[in-house]
Amino acid sequence: MTTETPAGDHAGRDRHQLRTLILAGATLLAVLFAVILAVVNAASLNQYWFLHFPLGFYLLAQGVLIFIVVSGFWYVRTQERIDRTRSENEEPE
Amino acid sequence: MNSLSRLRAPHPHLGAYYGIVTSAFVSLIVLLAMFEQLGWREVVIAQFMIVTPLLLYIVIAVGSRTRNTEDFFTSGRRVPAVFNGFVLAATAVGGVGFLAYTGAVFFLGFDALAIGLGLTCGILAGAVLFVPYLRKAGAYTLPGFLGQRFRSRRLRIAASVMQIPPMALLLAAEIKIAALIASLFLPLTFSLAVFLVAALVAAIGMLGGMRALTWAGSAQFIVGAVGLAVPLVTVSVLLTSLPTPQFTYGELIPSLQNAEITAGLSPVQPEEVETDLPPTAPQKVLKPFFQPFGIFGEFDFVVLFLCLMLGTAALPSLLVRSGVTRSVVEQRRSTAWALLLVALFALTAPAMAVFVKLLLFQDIGLAPAATASLPDWLTGLSGRQLLQASDANGDGGIGAAEILFTRDGIALTLPTLAGLPYVLTVLMAASGMAVALAAAGSHLFTLAGSMAEDVYRVLDRGAAEHPRLAAAWGAIAGSAIAAALFLIVADIDPLRAALTALAFAAATFFPVLMLAIWWPRGSEWGAFASMCTGFSVIFLGAMFGPDTGIYLAIVGLIGVIAGLVAGITASLYGIKPPAAATAYWQEMRNPEGEAIYDRAKARAAASAANASTGGQ
Repeated sequence: MTTETPAGDHAGRDRHQLRTLILAGATLLAVLFAVILAVVNAASLNQYWFLHFPLGFYLLAQGVLIFIVVSGFWYVRTQERIDRTRSENEEPE
Repeated sequence: MNSLSRLRAPHPHLGAYYGIVTSAFVSLIVLLAMFEQLGWREVVIAQFMIVTPLLLYIVIAVGSRTRNTEDFFTSGRRVPAVFNGFVLAATAVGGVGFLAYTGAVFFLGFDALAIGLGLTCGILAGAVLFVPYLRKAGAYTLPGFLGQRFRSRRLRIAASVMQIPPMALLLAAEIKIAALIASLFLPLTFSLAVFLVAALVAAIGMLGGMRALTWAGSAQFIVGAVGLAVPLVTVSVLLTSLPTPQFTYGELIPSLQNAEITAGLSPVQPEEVETDLPPTAPQKVLKPFFQPFGIFGEFDFVVLFLCLMLGTAALPSLLVRSGVTRSVVEQRRSTAWALLLVALFALTAPAMAVFVKLLLFQDIGLAPAATASLPDWLTGLSGRQLLQASDANGDGGIGAAEILFTRDGIALTLPTLAGLPYVLTVLMAASGMAVALAAAGSHLFTLAGSMAEDVYRVLDRGAAEHPRLAAAWGAIAGSAIAAALFLIVADIDPLRAALTALAFAAATFFPVLMLAIWWPRGSEWGAFASMCTGFSVIFLGAMFGPDTGIYLAIVGLIGVIAGLVAGITASLYGIKPPAAATAYWQEMRNPEGEAIYDRAKARAAASAANASTGGQ
């Protein structure tokens, strides 16, 4: 069911897991922070206008959604780079 | 990439096939539009527009039929990322999102944005926290993954049982939406429509399992997207002169605000309203569209958003699709595509609601106060039971305040209100039905596949390939019949059912998945404690608490926190996980190589072959 990992690979594996954890946490925290910031300030931001929309409404209806999508694609790309670094550092079987 | 992965090349002509499907559907729309101008009756146009795509789904399912278990449960692990993204998006949005969410935005305006945000953010959270690791594990079902991760058959069966309430609720909600559309536009009673929809969904699932659901689901997504885009873009061009409704409806805000003032809508406060989520029964519009936090306060908005986000992230019918692509990288990319498509829908729904509201209130406001000179659409939409109008104040006319709107029919009214040909109304209906069928198929397969794989196969460990499939067929047929019978006797609200299901998914599965994937110290007893605590909290809350959306969301979040605390405590103070469980965790975190389940299966097959050779 599982493969044995040589002791020398542990440092690379742990580094990969730490970087993965940081990336996941950063992506989700950034998105949650953006949503909560937009909600808390929505009523006051509504007195400003952006692209014909009240700004508070615009952020929750479009701005944050666009930010979530961009974050999602950025996460996929960065995680692929992290995975590639791990596979390059591992010795070929 | 090793030899197993190389064998799993996707079909080289998939793009061409679905290009043909799209062209054929667009041609059908054009043909029916021409026939409408030539005088075809509305009922005939509706039958062609709704029934022809249904035949297409059946043909695709027949073409995708299989008796191979890997094809049946994981679509052969060779679905391209974009196509998996199509089906994930259709399952996440579903008929409930298409009709009920759009209706909720119409009634609640600004406050309903929490639903779309929660759904979109949930897809991102699932993609970041769970999906790549489930792909590496390669289990056929979510309970199967938990059973393998924690080395526990009891846990696998318990997870399968706890998966029933959310999946059954979502299945019933989606079948109801599809049956509602069928009974509105085809000469069918609601009960007959429920049975026909359930039979269609079950037939697709039984013919080819995940494989048929993937390829029929991709066609359903295309029909849904085209059917939503064509009427909406047409209305956008008529109202704003630009074909980008998502970004141009802001120009209509002053007109909408004037129309709302004329209709007598004034700002409301949360304590003034009896119910937070709009019910299915026809009702008046409660608040101005752009008033922030009139029904949900800021705290309620965040709570609803978080509950929907965690529920979507841990929804078994989305996570079960984590094993269908060729690799971890492909799986991650497919969730990114799904995220883009769901976000696009969440951007579109408010535009649709603004168009409907503006057209309704402007026409009514401009009409003289005499019933005889009211707009033509009032009679047409009343006849289809999409709204109710009566002279409640006895002034001899009908004002905007005297019209009651049906929440789940709001999206379907748009083409009629804009004076577009009838073919676009039935196109919108076919589109809503397509995504409802795609979502119902996924929920049904998740429910029934788990019963076959996690209950029958665990109890009968020697089950060979054919009995496993027979068990899945029986479970699919049984679940579809049970859902149809439930809908005949119970009048459920699809939006409320979906919220309850997502609260169940959040409280029951989010904490245990966090323990399973992000904490090597998580143990079998920790997983048990986490799932049972979360499930008990949401079950008791849903059974005995008040019937409001915010209350359900709060209970769901309490279930998540209680589940996490119980799981961590039981893992820390209970029996330590065995070395095999920790090694499984380490292997699951390595994105390279074949799925753990497939490697174990290949090793078991090789051992069996060696044993038989040695025996001879």
